[in-house]
Parts: sequence; structure tokens; C-alpha cells
Amino acid sequence: MTKRSKGANEDKLIETKSKNVSGKSQKQKKPVEAESLKEEDLLQASGTDSDYDGDSLPGSLNSDDFDSDFSDSEDDGTHEGTEDGDVEFSDDDDVLGSDNNEEHGSDEDSERGEAVEESDSSEDEVPSRNTVGNVPLKWYEDEKHIGYDLTGKKITKKEKQDKLDSFLATIDDSKTWRKIYDEYNDEDVELTKEESKIVQRILKGEAPHADFDPYAPYVEWFKHDDAIHPLSSAPEPKRRFIPSKWEAKKVVKIVRAIRKGWIKFDKPEEEPNVYLLWGDDSTSDQKSKHLTYIPPPKLKLPGHDESYNPSLEYIPTEEEKASYELMFEEDRPKFIPTRFTSLRSIPAYENALKESFERCLDLYLCPRVRKKRINIDPESLKPKLPSRKDLRPYPNSCYLEYKGHTGAVTSISTDSSGEWIASGSTDGSVRMWEVETGRCLKVWQFDEAIMCVAWNPLSRLPVLAVAMGRDLFFLNTELGTDEEQEITKERLHSGNIPEPDASVAAIVTWLPDELYGGIKIRHFKSISSIDWHRKGDYLSTVMASGETRGVVLHQLSKQKTQRLPFKIRGLPVCTLFHPSLSYFFVATRKDVRVYNLLKPGEATKKLETGLREISSMAIHPGGDNLIVGSKEGKMCWFDMDLSSKPYKTLKNHPKDITNVAVHRSYPLFASCSEDSTAYVFHGMVYNDLNQNPLIVPLEILRGHSSKGGVLDCKFHPRQPWLFTAGADSIIKLYCH
Amino acid sequence: MDIDGEDVSRRLHVKFVTKLDSPFKVPVNSVAIPSNVTRLGLSSIVNSIIESENPEWKTEPFDFLIDGELIRMSLEEFLLAKGISAERTLEIEYIRAVTPRKEEEPSLHDDWVSAVNGSSPRFILTGCYDGLGRVWSSAGSCSHILEGHSGAISSVALVNSNDAETVTVATASKDRTLRLFKFDPAESVDSTTKVRAYKILRGHKASVQSVSAQKSGNMVCSSSWDCTINLWNTNESTSEGESVSVKKRKGNNQAEESQSEGEAVTSLVGHTQCVSSVVWPEHDVIYSSSWDHSVRRWDVETGKDSLNLFCGKALNTVDVGGESSALIAAGGSDPILRVWDPRKPGTSAPVFQFSSHSSWISACKWHKSSWFHLLSASYDGKIMLWDLRTAVMTKHTHSFPL
Repeated sequence: MTKRSKGANEDKLIETKSKNVSGKSQKQKKPVEAESLKEEDLLQASGTDSDYDGDSLPGSLNSDDFDSDFSDSEDDGTHEGTEDGDVEFSDDDDVLGSDNNEEHGSDEDSERGEAVEESDSSEDEVPSRNTVGNVPLKWYEDEKHIGYDLTGKKITKKEKQDKLDSFLATIDDSKTWRKIYDEYNDEDVELTKEESKIVQRILKGEAPHADFDPYAPYVEWFKHDDAIHPLSSAPEPKRRFIPSKWEAKKVVKIVRAIRKGWIKFDKPEEEPNVYLLWGDDSTSDQKSKHLTYIPPPKLKLPGHDESYNPSLEYIPTEEEKASYELMFEEDRPKFIPTRFTSLRSIPAYENALKESFERCLDLYLCPRVRKKRINIDPESLKPKLPSRKDLRPYPNSCYLEYKGHTGAVTSISTDSSGEWIASGSTDGSVRMWEVETGRCLKVWQFDEAIMCVAWNPLSRLPVLAVAMGRDLFFLNTELGTDEEQEITKERLHSGNIPEPDASVAAIVTWLPDELYGGIKIRHFKSISSIDWHRKGDYLSTVMASGETRGVVLHQLSKQKTQRLPFKIRGLPVCTLFHPSLSYFFVATRKDVRVYNLLKPGEATKKLETGLREISSMAIHPGGDNLIVGSKEGKMCWFDMDLSSKPYKTLKNHPKDITNVAVHRSYPLFASCSEDSTAYVFHGMVYNDLNQNPLIVPLEILRGHSSKGGVLDCKFHPRQPWLFTAGADSIIKLYCH
Repeated sequence: MDIDGEDVSRRLHVKFVTKLDSPFKVPVNSVAIPSNVTRLGLSSIVNSIIESENPEWKTEPFDFLIDGELIRMSLEEFLLAKGISAERTLEIEYIRAVTPRKEEEPSLHDDWVSAVNGSSPRFILTGCYDGLGRVWSSAGSCSHILEGHSGAISSVALVNSNDAETVTVATASKDRTLRLFKFDPAESVDSTTKVRAYKILRGHKASVQSVSAQKSGNMVCSSSWDCTINLWNTNESTSEGESVSVKKRKGNNQAEESQSEGEAVTSLVGHTQCVSSVVWPEHDVIYSSSWDHSVRRWDVETGKDSLNLFCGKALNTVDVGGESSALIAAGGSDPILRVWDPRKPGTSAPVFQFSSHSSWISACKWHKSSWFHLLSASYDGKIMLWDLRTAVMTKHTHSFPL
């Protein structure tokens, strides 16, 4: 062990010793002595730091040598001094030691024995070299000293060592790992072997000192069992050894209660302690049982005129008073200001009794219910509809008129391309117009008023079906290419009409049409409506008075007619083919029935319109939504996926709806009425089944003369345009 | 009195400049004129200035421009509206005003006139709903009747007029064919001659709506209700495998005429609805308007559309012209005449919208030489001449009884 470590050992020893001292009454002396010793060592250590390195002494000190080492402490200085030749040290020693020397020696002698005995007490009370106390070191950061020693001298800071040097020093020094820098005293402290052992033990969780035996045998100082004399000499009470009767009774009682179910072991569930924080108190039951307090109406605050001595200008003149007399009793002012010279002269209130009586009467007679006023902004109740601007395009203004008919135009139909429009009129003429210019291209003149015109939905089969009276004509419009014309002519060739079935012979007869070279089908009752199937081969006709035989299907390619494979209940009004499936809609006066043409046995669906008299019907191109117009001016939108009841019923027209129409590609539908207006609606059907159709009224189209109204409306197949046929013999085109 | 006089005679210093030639020129001096004069006043001032230098001057109406904008109100209001300072000397450019033409003797037809073409200085070509095309050498005198169509003629176009001798014209009809006619406009001015088509162009599946010829006259294009634009050769030769058919005229003892039938060279497909109008202003660029609400520019070489302007309304007519023949004017199913500038980057909004008509616009035409003049016809019975330099007012309208 080096000399340096020895010095440190000494220091340590002093500390341990001082603890022993602390137990005694020598506190005063110990610090001085300890300080002096420590100082010596430190000075030694600091002064000869470099010299010690690698300087080894023969023999080694271990913890057992502490005592002997300590005892030599006095001559330690000299001893070391001789070794190192350090003069400074001895001087210092003299100075410090001069006062204490005598006591020192004697103290040490007396303390020595105990120090050996109990060397494990804490080190806290060892006063350090620095006397500044437990203050933050920060305070001395900028000073040259780190504090004061016992004598009040400044303890100067050690020279700051170069980092590199210190590092190099640590590399060479094998004891580095034991060294700790004591900031407070500004010195390096090396742990002794003993100390490091203690540290290790603490780390292991054992007692710090090796001497301490945690499992020392227990020494029993007191023996209870064999005590001859008990503390009290009272005899053992009876209750100590006899079972308690009352306890038994209590147990029986509890047992009984448990058996009978009076005691329940599982805790009852706690009811949540909540109450209506924002609720209306008046609605709660508790309140409604009692009569609510109804405060009397608040009186107006009196003004100057109610004063007993009002200013003169408040006093009515005689004339005014006279005029009051002439007024109605309700209009008469309730109070007439009067002047009194003093309060004493004011008479008693003449109405006091009467008014209190009336108040009582009020309270007695007034209904004990408070009127609830609901403050809801009526605007907020309106459904939020998108702006009309966002729903463009839709027809809104009329730019073109098709003039030429002399009677009311009853029916119009556009061809599939949208180039032509056909119209039928009560004057017996069927006209074909060019949509773009309004030019009438063709006229077919008949004797009867035209009931219905319908263009074949196939563009390659430009055939026009015209219904009038009891006859249905197929007219060749002579449009289309040459090949298409040939096919058309072949279809309308009336040479080989097959024999009709017996079942339909009484209803219809197929005849050649001499007038225009087409085909004529004569029915047994007058036709009210016709509808083409989407494939352009089948055509359904409705005879309103035909009752059960009122609807028939014609097949153009085979020139055959067949009756519906099912029975129709009620008077048919109009029929519709489903735009994509094999369903067939038949509207009777009150409801609409859906039949499956391919499976006649299948259960039919009934759409309950709730209308008084259906007039027309149109189907959305998606096939799931049906619009029904009625003669009382109501229009029903059916979402057939949703229910058999109308999804929306729109009551717009004051008069009969004559027709309804749905646009093929734009989300538009329209209704026209005898009030000579047509309404255009936005009717958006979403693919998402969760979203209901959006219906927004867009525009009222006026323009037709008020006589007779609008009899038919049809959308242009490709443009957002609406054609309306008026009873004023004009067809109008409304554009976007 | 004094104050009033001062108020009325607020004077502006103006300088009249012009691009016109010498008889119209005025000295470039600053003139003080009252600020409340209108176009009429300015015109009389300029006339009097010219007259003072040139005694034989005949009064002529002028139009006035400040910074390229026509004056359509009093000078004072104009300056106020445009925020132009009245302190400095104003430079007013004047041009000859476009005066309303006198209506000449009408050329009477038997039926609705569906098409008219006046691009040749020698004659006017019309198409009629009775299926006949007519050539009017002068007002009211029909020189040729172009016959053969079984349906109404929807459009006529002048194919080749460079040739002094014969003129080639094309007619489009609702009978799904186009016919090419050749005639000599010089002959038979007095009597009407009937002309038969030398070539029938079949191929459209629906009514042909419009026809337009290439500048060179070698090809015509036509648009139809079948949503296509077809290109046709106009030459008479039948060597390219074109089917030749010699037809006898029914019920007519005239000499047989050879009629060749032509097939479409190519078809431009892209429109989804009726193609209402085509123009062929350059060698390989075709503009078309359609009822599917779009105006398209087609590259003839590739057959692809290189421009697609969306309008929102069904369009009836398109024409290309204006500044460096690049502006597209189109009108359709609403009373607004729109002008697009396809060179404008990043936007397909019209640069001009003229909305004085009250019904559908049926036709529009740019001025042949003027960049600023545009003519439009509408179903409201009016023809309007528009000047792009003013957005305030139309110039002249002619009303016709419907």
C-alpha cells in the first residue's frame, strides 16, 4: 500500500473514532483534534501527490493496523517528513498542533478502547476541513477559495488540473477506480480496502460490517411460562369456559333470517344517482301534481299622471272628460288624473274590493295549466333543400313553340334520338315536328280526335302508334335509312294478318289501314292509353271501360294480340312496362298493381296511393321509383324498395294532373296539369340503398293559355328539355 | 347663366387619329370639344374638319374608339366609366361606321329557307325545305335550281369558286345524303336552269345537319344526327372504286345524267349527340358544335379531337374567325352567343358572352376580314351585328316578322 493510502486510512480512522466520541461527552474536543489530523494528512497528500505515485512502502497496512497506526499519529508528521523531506509539512504541524497537543494525547488514550469496539457508527458528525457548512458550492464557484477552516482562514482551491493530464494520470494509476473527488473539501479521497468492502457488502444487501451477525442466537431474557406468580389472582370467570347462550340465540336468529331470505348476502345494485339536469321541470310528474304558482300579471309602474298631485298638464279638461264619456268602455282611459292638495284628502280606492274580487275570480276560474309556448323557428322546420342553382340544368324558359294544330294537343311523343316529336290533337291530325326548328314535317289527318301518340322506342323502327277512339294505328314515319325502312314496311305489311285467337277475337281485330298503308287495330272499347315495351315489339293498350278485358298486349312482329295472363281488379287507367325487367304496372283508379309478365302466378304487389283518382303514371329509368299523378292535383313518388306506400306525396297543382314524365338520363321529373302549368322537379335516385331519393321542386313552367290547361308533357330523350302540349293547340319546348 | 354655361362647355382636348386612307384623314391637331358629345357629335365634328379641307366631302358616319373600345355613350360618361383622365389630350381613333344595309328585293322561296351562303360575290346560294337548292344571281332572280334531294336541305356550302367557269357547291339534306352540284353562274341569268348533282354522297345514317368545304375545294365535311362528321372527296373521278350508278330520271324525258356516288373518306367519331354544325377554316382543322354541349376541334390527319370546349347548352352553330382566325363563336339553345379563345391557357370559359337575343341562336358568322365583327341570327327574328370592341350594346339589329 502506498503512503498516500495510508494517510487516507488515518483520516478514515479518525472519522470512525469520532463517532465513538459522539456518544460520549467530548464533542467539543474531538473536532479540533480531528481537524488538525486531517489537515496534516491532506497537506501531505496535496503537497506530495506526484511523489507518491509508484512510491511503495515496505509492508502493508490493513484495517487491523488502524489502532497502532493511529497511536502513532503524533509522530506521523515527522515520520513522513523524514521520508519525503517535506519541510512545509512539519511547520504546519507545529502551528496547528501547538495548542492541542496535550489534550490530544490524553483524549486519545481514553477513547482508543471504545473506538475499536464500535467502529460502525455513522460518519455524519465528523466536521470537515471546510467550515462553511452545508451550503451550495455554487456560491464559491467564482471565488479562489472554497471555504474557511476552523481558524477562519480561507481554504484556497486547488489548481485545476488539465483534463488530459488527469486522464493520463488515471490511466497510470491502478487505484483510480477507488478514488472519489470530494467537491466540498476539494480533494481526492481514496477508498480503503475496508471501505470498498463495506460498499460491496452494501451493494450485496448485507450488513455493512463484516462483524455483524444477523443470525445471532436469540437471548430470552424473560420466561412467561414458568412464572410462578400471575399478575392477578382473580379466579377465572365462568364465561370463559361456558358457551354463551345469547350468542347461540343470536346465531339462531340470523340463521332463521337467512333461511327466510331476510338477509341477503349479495349487495343490492346501487341505483345510479342521476337526475335530469337540463330537463324541463314542468314536464316531470312531481310538479304536475301540484298547482303551479301563477303570478298575477305585472303592473305598470306609476307615472307622473298617477301622482296625487300631478302637474296641471296631466289633468284632463272638462271637454276631454266629456269626450271620454262618449268613448266605448274598452277604449275609455282606465285612470283619469286628478289633483289633491294633500295626501290626506285622497279618498279610498273605489275599485279595491272589486279588483280583489276579480283577482280571486281569475284565480278560481283560470285554467290551472300553463300554456306552453314552443319557440321554434318555422324556418328550421323546413327540410334543407339544395339550391336550385346547383341542380342545373333543368327546363326553365320557353324558346320554341310548335304551332300548327287547330285543336287541343292531347298527346306528344319524342323519337328515341330526340330529332323528331309527334303530336296528336283533337282536330284529328297527327303531326311530326322537327325539334330543332319547329318545322312540321308530316301531317296525318284522321276523322277522330287523337287520344294518344307513342313513338316506338327503337330507333331502327320508326313507327308511330296512334290511338283514337276505338282504333290503334301504326304509322310509318318514313324516317331512318333505307334498310330500316324496308324492315318497317315489312312489319307494317298488312297482307298476312294471322287468324286471331278466340279469346281475343271479341276484343280486337287487326285490319289493314287503307288510309296510310299501315295497320289498324280495332278494339271493342275506346282506347285511353297506350305504352310501348322497351324492345319496341309489344304495345299495351288500355280501354278504360273495358273492365276485366280492359288491357291487352299487341305484338307487332307477329301481328297478334293477347290478353293479360292475370285478372285486373278495378277499372284500368293506364299501364306501364318496367324499363328493364318483366314487370307490368297497371294503374286502376285508386292504386297501382305490379304484375310479373313472365310468372303470372307470382304474387302481385299493390301500391297504395291514397289518391282518389289516378290519371297518369311514369317510371324512373332505374325501375325502382314510380310517379303517379292524380286528378285531385296530387302526385305520389313511390320508392318500391322502401314500401308500398308513397315515399312522398306532392300537392302542387290546384287542378287535375293530366300527365307526369320522368327524364331518361337527367334527374328530372315533371307534371302537367289542367291549371295550365307544368312543374319541374329534381328527383335524384341514389345507387346507395340507404339514401332516400331527393326530391326538390325546381320550376313552374307557365305560358300556356289558361283555357284547358296542359294536356301532356314529355322530356326530350337527351337534353334537359320539356315539351308541353297545351289545350291551346300549341306545343312548347322549355329549355334549360 | 355663367355657371350653367361653364358646366355645359366643359372642354376636353382631343386628337383625332385614324388608320384610314387620305380622304378620311384629318390634321393631327389637338381640338377642344365639349365633353358631353356623343358618337353623333364626334362624327359631325370630324366630318366638318374634313370638309373644311376638302370641299367636295360627302358626310360619312364614323365610329370612335378610345383605347380600342367603341364609344357608345357621351364622352364624359365614357371617360368616367373607364376611369380615363380628362386632363391630358385624348387620342380618339375613328373608323368608318358600319351602316345598316338596305333591304333589297326579297328572293322568294316556296318553303322555309333553311340555309344561305353568300360567300361568293357573284351569287347567293340558298337551301330550302322543299328540297331544292337555289342560286340567286342577284336579288330576286333565281338563276339555277339545284334539285335531287328528297328531303329538306339543311345546309349549303360553296366548295370551289376559284374556277371562273364552273362553281361547285355542296348541299346537305335531311334525306341523309349530300349532293355536289356544278354550274356556271355566268350562264342563263335571265331564265332559271335546273341542275342535277354530279355526285351523291351517301353514308350518313341520319339527317345531315351541316356541310363545310375545305379551302382548296377538294374535300367537304358534313355533320349529322348520327353523331359523326364525315369527310368526302369532291372530285368527279370515280376511279377509286366508288360505285357508279347511272340513274334515270323518273318521269322526265331529259337526257340521262351520270351521277357518281361517293363514300365517306373518313369519319370523325366522338360527339355523343347530333353534330349540329361544322366549319373547315384551315387545311386540316375542323371545328364542330354539337347538341352534346361541346365544341370540338378536330385534326383531320389523325381524326382525333384536339380541343373540347364544354358549354352546358345544346349548340346549333359554330364559326371560327376574329383575331387571327382563332376565336370560336358558338350559339345554341339559349339566347347567349359565346365566344371562346382557345389560345387562352388554363380556362375554357368564354371570353365574350352576348345576350341581347331573346331566343335560340340559329346561326353565327364572323366577318370575313374584320376581326371585330360577328353576326348572329336568332329564332327571335333578329340578326345582330356585334362589335367585339364594345360590350355595351349591339350595333344593328334587323327584325323580321316570324
